[in-house]
Amino acid sequence: MGGTLATRNEESGPFRGLIEAYGFVPNLFGLQKKLPRVIEAEQGLIDAIVVRQSGLSRGLKGCLLRIVASAKGSDYCRALHAETESNDGEKDAALLAFANKLARYAPWICKHDVEALRASGFDDSLILDAVLTVALGQLLCTLSNALRPNLDSGLPTPASIESSRLAEPVEWFDTGGPYLQASPQSASNFQPYAFFREQLGFVPKLFQEQMLRPDVVEAECQTLAQILMPEDLLSRVAKEHIVLIISAANLNTYFVAVHSQILTTLGVRLEDSNQIVEDHRCAAISPAEVALLDEVRKLACCPRGLQAGFDPIPLQAHGFSEPQILEAVAMAAVTNFLNTLQAGLGAVPDFPPRRVFTRKDLYPSSGPSRLISDATSPSDPDAAVVACVQGGDTGAFEELVRRHSRRIFGTLAGLLGNLDDARDVTQDVFLKAFEHIGRFQGRSKFSTWLTSIAINTGTELLRQSKPCESLDGGEEDDEFRPRQIQSWADNPEQVLAATQRTDLVREGILRLPEKYRVVVLLRDINQVSTEEAAAALGLSIPAVKARLLRGRLMLRESLAPYFIRVEKRSPDAQLR
Amino acid sequence: MLSCAEFLAEFGDYLEEAASPEVRARLEEHLHECKTCQVIVDSTRKTIRFVTDCDSFTLTADQVEPFVKDVMDRIREKKP
Repeated sequence: MGGTLATRNEESGPFRGLIEAYGFVPNLFGLQKKLPRVIEAEQGLIDAIVVRQSGLSRGLKGCLLRIVASAKGSDYCRALHAETESNDGEKDAALLAFANKLARYAPWICKHDVEALRASGFDDSLILDAVLTVALGQLLCTLSNALRPNLDSGLPTPASIESSRLAEPVEWFDTGGPYLQASPQSASNFQPYAFFREQLGFVPKLFQEQMLRPDVVEAECQTLAQILMPEDLLSRVAKEHIVLIISAANLNTYFVAVHSQILTTLGVRLEDSNQIVEDHRCAAISPAEVALLDEVRKLACCPRGLQAGFDPIPLQAHGFSEPQILEAVAMAAVTNFLNTLQAGLGAVPDFPPRRVFTRKDLYPSSGPSRLISDATSPSDPDAAVVACVQGGDTGAFEELVRRHSRRIFGTLAGLLGNLDDARDVTQDVFLKAFEHIGRFQGRSKFSTWLTSIAINTGTELLRQSKPCESLDGGEEDDEFRPRQIQSWADNPEQVLAATQRTDLVREGILRLPEKYRVVVLLRDINQVSTEEAAAALGLSIPAVKARLLRGRLMLRESLAPYFIRVEKRSPDAQLR
Repeated sequence: MLSCAEFLAEFGDYLEEAASPEVRARLEEHLHECKTCQVIVDSTRKTIRFVTDCDSFTLTADQVEPFVKDVMDRIREKKP
């Protein structure tokens, strides 16, 4: 959209802060002149983080900004920060390496990285400055990658990428934050805290952990006040959805947890927020908002699997005005800023996260993102019927319901443990599938897609009653040791009547932890293939196999007392 | 030879008859010598048989058509 908004650098009145920072008004900000409050917020951050004197030198901050620009492929931002040099070569190298990792691989940042900086002589105040600068760099790169400003006259054309390429880190450490020492809390009359309490109902830990720089917290607070809060263009909920979708793409557990909770105060149910996180295309939002989220998601720091850049044209086609598009871009940029801050500081969520991003989320290519993905391509026996429905033949959907109702009901009955609930939710699943079938692209089997919707819907319902249990829990590394090791009767079917046996199996299945239960239901009850179960659950095939085996062994333990061959018990038997 | 722990970590594919010939040979070598793991394999297979036969979680055949009708009625109600 570089050519659509005129830039008039001579109107520098509202841009005084930018002139102070850069000596001129960069085109990047001129392109946003239809939204002065956004420019004001961005200026405030630049002033607090870069211009204002703090521990790190201005030159070093410029180096960090250039590193981020290289990492994000923003020639514009590289040129904008080209005239800066660092001084203290060896010591600074550690900081630059940290910045490079934070810019490229924020989810991998852990306390070991921060400790390494301390070992190189950087105190917490300097580390905070560095994290803030990298986060600001992400904000500026997001803006420039979306708005695509022309290079400002007088700035050097950037040479080829100079920042050292960084190999993708191998280790993913789940080290708990926060990484910096806590600083004294400001008095209760600290204005930003009052703002957070009033607007959000609490003071997010991310901001509390930056109190070594209260002036920056103030600028961040202003930024939220000027970009997130106003409702004159995009609605607050629409902007919160942008926060969610960008944070999910960035694998940022903190922001997904905190803003899902914040959305509840705006009347949005947690399950609806979760649907935005998992697949916004199946969420209960308008087609225009789907298009908006489709585009802004491309602006995430880690737009996994997305090659195309942000494109305002589809948004204009959906009726979004230029200021609305600018506000969406700014919201995405601010989210990248905050996500980077969180990754660098290790702030822990203020609320128990419902969705914890883990290493497996990093590799969408090894399995589609969890639930409602249609990213594989087996031949599909339902393809012809699906095509009829997509072509407008509502009646054809009846055949799909007929084909899949038993399996979907079976999965949900086992998941929920209540047949009446299962019947209702199965109906909801088919309604949801019908509603969204236009977006089903046939890259996976229809049955996989439908199963994904069922599991997603069922687990959401479960979490309302058992919020602590999650399908996403990490894999147990602990070895499962069977305790019941006596032989079973040769014909255990003869030990108990069929109805008693069925009751025992049903109860055993319902007692399994959810993540094992769902795999057992898919594989053993519904005879879904390992590959299809993996696709529906967003798990790797080895993970499905591991959960299936664990589930079967746990079930075996619970059934064993009823079926052991009493006369041949061998108490000495034991595992070697 | 494999320990019991190693056997238990790998016998999932064996149960599914999907283990490679090499893995299968190593597992069977252990199984031949280990009564305890024989018991676990046998009882796990029986467990799978029970689960597979369990009809607690399915709509019965005569429930399917009324269910299909309910769903289609709801879809047609919602459709403008």
